[in-house]
Amino acid sequence: MKAESKFQIFDAVPDSLEPIRDFIAAFATANNIERKKIFKLSLAVDEIATNIMNYGYPLAGIDDGTIQVSIGYQDKQLKVVLEDHAMPFNPIEKGMPTPEDLMKPVEDRPIGGLGIFLARQSVDLFDYEYREGKNRNIFVVAID
Amino acid sequence: MKVTIQTKNNIVYITIQGSIDSNTAGELQSHILEKLGSFNRVIMDLTAVDFLSSAGLRVLLMLYRQLSTNGGKVLLVNVSDEICDIMSMTGFINFFELYGSIDEAEKQFI
Repeated sequence: MKAESKFQIFDAVPDSLEPIRDFIAAFATANNIERKKIFKLSLAVDEIATNIMNYGYPLAGIDDGTIQVSIGYQDKQLKVVLEDHAMPFNPIEKGMPTPEDLMKPVEDRPIGGLGIFLARQSVDLFDYEYREGKNRNIFVVAID
Repeated sequence: MKVTIQTKNNIVYITIQGSIDSNTAGELQSHILEKLGSFNRVIMDLTAVDFLSSAGLRVLLMLYRQLSTNGGKVLLVNVSDEICDIMSMTGFINFFELYGSIDEAEKQFI
């Protein structure tokens, strides 16, 4: 497979979630990535994009925000980067649920808080940086 | 996402097609609550669900809670491997009953 990359800018609205997942799936499928890995990568991106739309931009008082989605394949790694101008938010600093939390009966769980956990668990590497006024959420999946 | 809800023999059948993400989960939840009423036996067919995020898990959690307080339960039918993985990662799998077909699920309610 040759190295290539693509990017597209989406409005930061819930209606963009499916097109963002489709954009990632189309690129990954074209590069023969297996279905299960595509699903997990799409899930990770969907969860973080949802946070940007529902919290990042509203908290920054911005109602016409965008999310740039870049995807590239190189050196047996599929990498997605989300860039936005919303409120700085580092998902890595947010506490992850403990194994004890995950064993709690469903009825005792706080609603929510699972999105970032799922995002981080679903990719081989998750990274975050804030640079030049932009949040950059980075997702890497290793391809055998 | 498309959702169909039918009631037969005191069982509520929910059939979902498409993606359950944070864009569609709210609509799914209100459809379910609107039709659920005092019924407490639910079979949810996920055969045609190609994507489910934490927003979808929250709908399952809401339904589980609602039915538990009512002495009932929800049985999930044809959960894909990918969705099964999400349920395992989050521990949800321990609290839901999964079946391979609607027939199999129905037998639990007889």
